[in-house]
Amino acid sequence: MGLRTSAAVLVGRAVRVAARLRGGGSAIPGNIALKIDPAFLERTIARIPKGVVAVSGSNGKSTTTNMLAAIIRAHGLKVFTNPSGGNLPQGIASALLSEVSVGGHLDADIAILEVDEGYGTRLAELLKPRTVLLLNIQIDQLNRYHEPDRVAAMLGRVAATSTEGLILNREDNFLVDMDTRIPSRPGRAVSFFGGLPELVEPAGHGVASADRFDESAAAPGSRAAAVEVVALNGARATLSIESAVLPSAPDEASRTEIEVRLPSRGLHYALDAAGAAATARSVLGEQFRPELVSEALDTLATVYGRGELLDVAGEQIEIIMMKNPASLQLNLDSLEAAPEQVFLAVDEGTPDPSWIYDIDFSALDHVDGITGSKAWQFAVRFGYLGIPVGSVDLDVRAALKAFLALPKPATGHKVMILNYEQMMLIRKILGFKELEGGGAA
Amino acid sequence: MSATKSLNILHLFPRLLGLNGEGGNVEILRLRSEWRGLPVVVNEYDGGAPVGFGDADLVFIGSGPVSAQLIAHPLVLAVAAELRELAADDRPFLAVGAGFQLLGQTVALENGEVLEGAGVYPVSTRHGGTRVVGDLVLESERFGTIVGFENRGSFTEVGPHATLGKVVYGRGNSETPGAEGFWEGNLLGTHMHGPILANNPLIADSLLDTARDRRSLQYGDPGSDKLHEIDERARQARGTIAASPLSE
Ligand SMILES: [Zn+2]
Repeated sequence: MGLRTSAAVLVGRAVRVAARLRGGGSAIPGNIALKIDPAFLERTIARIPKGVVAVSGSNGKSTTTNMLAAIIRAHGLKVFTNPSGGNLPQGIASALLSEVSVGGHLDADIAILEVDEGYGTRLAELLKPRTVLLLNIQIDQLNRYHEPDRVAAMLGRVAATSTEGLILNREDNFLVDMDTRIPSRPGRAVSFFGGLPELVEPAGHGVASADRFDESAAAPGSRAAAVEVVALNGARATLSIESAVLPSAPDEASRTEIEVRLPSRGLHYALDAAGAAATARSVLGEQFRPELVSEALDTLATVYGRGELLDVAGEQIEIIMMKNPASLQLNLDSLEAAPEQVFLAVDEGTPDPSWIYDIDFSALDHVDGITGSKAWQFAVRFGYLGIPVGSVDLDVRAALKAFLALPKPATGHKVMILNYEQMMLIRKILGFKELEGGGAA
Repeated sequence: MSATKSLNILHLFPRLLGLNGEGGNVEILRLRSEWRGLPVVVNEYDGGAPVGFGDADLVFIGSGPVSAQLIAHPLVLAVAAELRELAADDRPFLAVGAGFQLLGQTVALENGEVLEGAGVYPVSTRHGGTRVVGDLVLESERFGTIVGFENRGSFTEVGPHATLGKVVYGRGNSETPGAEGFWEGNLLGTHMHGPILANNPLIADSLLDTARDRRSLQYGDPGSDKLHEIDERARQARGTIAASPLSE
């Protein structure tokens, strides 16, 4: 290993330690390492024996990457993965820094990486994924990508780089026929995941896939699924998994049903689990054991930030992430009753919250407090909806303090609806550790 | 329903052109009228025979991605004559983004192709250049500060015509920031994506007034406390955005 790599690793590590002490900026060390040795990421990744699995899509990347990593680990492989949200080149380089030796060696059999859809094309060139899992194309962060068609085109380029496996969500308007719209490649196995129509169709706002206006080669739901959600009961789902076709009986594809635990209620989590299982099946081939999926997901800790319960001064507070319209809608739909106490915080991390006029907020009957620089825009929306708003205070600390001071609700728990930036800030204010630490301090 | 005692809003292509919560504009117009005692009937038109166009007191068309704009193009041309007639008859129009472009004279695409517009607005559009995404703050003689969000990869030529306002922050119609949109008489067009009326209720009321005046329709109620409270929140929202506008 060259001096450049060592220098990149050592400097990157030093910055990483410094950044953690200040309590922020987890991408900064990776950035610096990439400046000292631009090929650091590419070269280290290229030496991983079983290569890279890339997970991308608008929503559910972190959850699914986490699930897939757990399933592959349960099969006995050493997995390198990136922490949730660290899905840009710098974030992946930062994650590498914490695991490589100074010589640049990484002790892993396989890499399972969440990839930002906007950087997908560049990252795919860099990472050369053997397997690609695409989850969905939702109206997500339109401010960054502007149009679902463009996101579809970017994900198509990522899909086209897969050499061994391509796993697609058959319930998504754009992904259901993506295999027919990219150049085919000999040796690439394409498989699908999805849910029974009776689960997918009535599920509140369904899977909230973006509208598509051009010609589609297949209708959503019409492809045969290697893994299918066949039952959903609270935070548990039943997956029906197609076994690899037996050489002795090539037409016989038997199916196994397993029950899995989800991070929280919601069809989207069940589809994430189905996508993770279908990808593990594709990657592991004959070594794949369906029962290990149940085992892995049972022991998997709740993924940071989605449907998470924070313990604050002995009181449980449910965090609902407002990552994009689709995830917010699905999370609102999964509420069992209108929460007794609701707090909302949104700042410029959500530059244009116009889509709140497309969201069905009927799961809420009031909001106690709103904060963040977009607070007044939400207050206007709730005004037109006739949803009473307790108070609006742009001072996050003061607003949070007032909300926490409310007596414990008689039923359920306090609910906070937060965008990513406000979630990070509020965790910090409450004394929770940053991203990689998870859990309470 | 009695056509004489309610206000009719024609919402053009809500499915194709409504990407950024723009349907919120129609909801806001409806509630602002109904809360003052004047019922509203919304006619959603997604293509086919132009049923009920003659009853329209106010016309709204929203925005969408280029793919949707291309599909909407022949559908808009099919009702261009009817729309020009409504415009000439003083019915107020609010057109946003891709819908505004299609109601103009021409739309030049990045591949050089030029689409013919419906000819309702005397403006033309050229796609291309750097995409601009961010807050847009205007100063208008009629309404003071107007705030919105622009997300466009195009330029609008409005010639000598009047606009929605002078650009204080953001880009607006042209490469060199100057003015935004088009507003003359009953015709308002803009690239302020999303529910522009949410933060700028005076524009909503102005469109409703133009529609009411044409038919001498009165509000039964001078205004409700609900509207008062919402307008105060909108004022705060404008203040917050104008104080520290951001763009990509
Ligand atoms: Zn756009």
